[in-house]
Amino acid sequence: MAIRVQLDRILLERRMSLTELADRVGVTLANLSILKTGKARAVRFTTLDALCRELDCQPGDLLVWEPGPQGSADDGED
Amino acid sequence: MRLPTLKPIGIRAPRTMGPGSVSSLLKIALDVAYVLLMLITGILLLAFVAAIFVPMTDALADQAVTVGEGSDARQFALTRTLILFGLGATAAYFAGFLLILRQLRLIFRTLIQGDPFMPDNVRRLRQIGLTLAVVTGGVWVAQGLVAARLAPGVMERQGFGELLTPIFSVLVVFVLAEVFREGARLRHESELTI
Repeated sequence: MAIRVQLDRILLERRMSLTELADRVGVTLANLSILKTGKARAVRFTTLDALCRELDCQPGDLLVWEPGPQGSADDGED
Repeated sequence: MRLPTLKPIGIRAPRTMGPGSVSSLLKIALDVAYVLLMLITGILLLAFVAAIFVPMTDALADQAVTVGEGSDARQFALTRTLILFGLGATAAYFAGFLLILRQLRLIFRTLIQGDPFMPDNVRRLRQIGLTLAVVTGGVWVAQGLVAARLAPGVMERQGFGELLTPIFSVLVVFVLAEVFREGARLRHESELTI
């Protein structure tokens, strides 16, 4: 997908583990992994709000657009 | 114009999905029908195989089939070919509905689990549509054959108008399959919305 979530970089900067972030944000570890690996289709504003609050960052720090094939997120759909 | 509002009368609508719901009741009915249909199909297939191998020239010598009623009635000699055609066509008809019931049971199983919007159900509904098309088309062709070859002038030939209802039913099943596909897509998307 052309939108990438830079969770790895920010977690490294904050010296925080994914498990700790999952606990703080109230999202399951499995769902945060989906977000981190770029498999997510969409992010709720409430999730984004919680992530920004706990990581002390802006949405723009978390999301990056990279040129890529359009609609590649639909891959794997039957 | 405002429509009058109805007061609730205190009757709760039965649950349509999940264990102990209307779906599970229908699933039991489908299971019973499936077993019965399997028995009937099995017996018909056995009879079909027996009709191929068992010699019955003597038994059929003075047997006849009557087609039509009253003064229009005609009698035809009961031949092995006729028996094979009748048994084969009936067995194929029941086997087709057996396939439909099998897929329906699997769909209802997902309804009882409370998760009907899965890609497998799209495939099952398409198979139901396809089987329904083949079975109803087959019945139409078989009836046409009987009218044309076995009892010309006694039975009326099949018209295309009689295919309208089956075609409509098949199309409805295919549209339902697409509805389920869209449901499965939305569910997949909601699963990946964090």
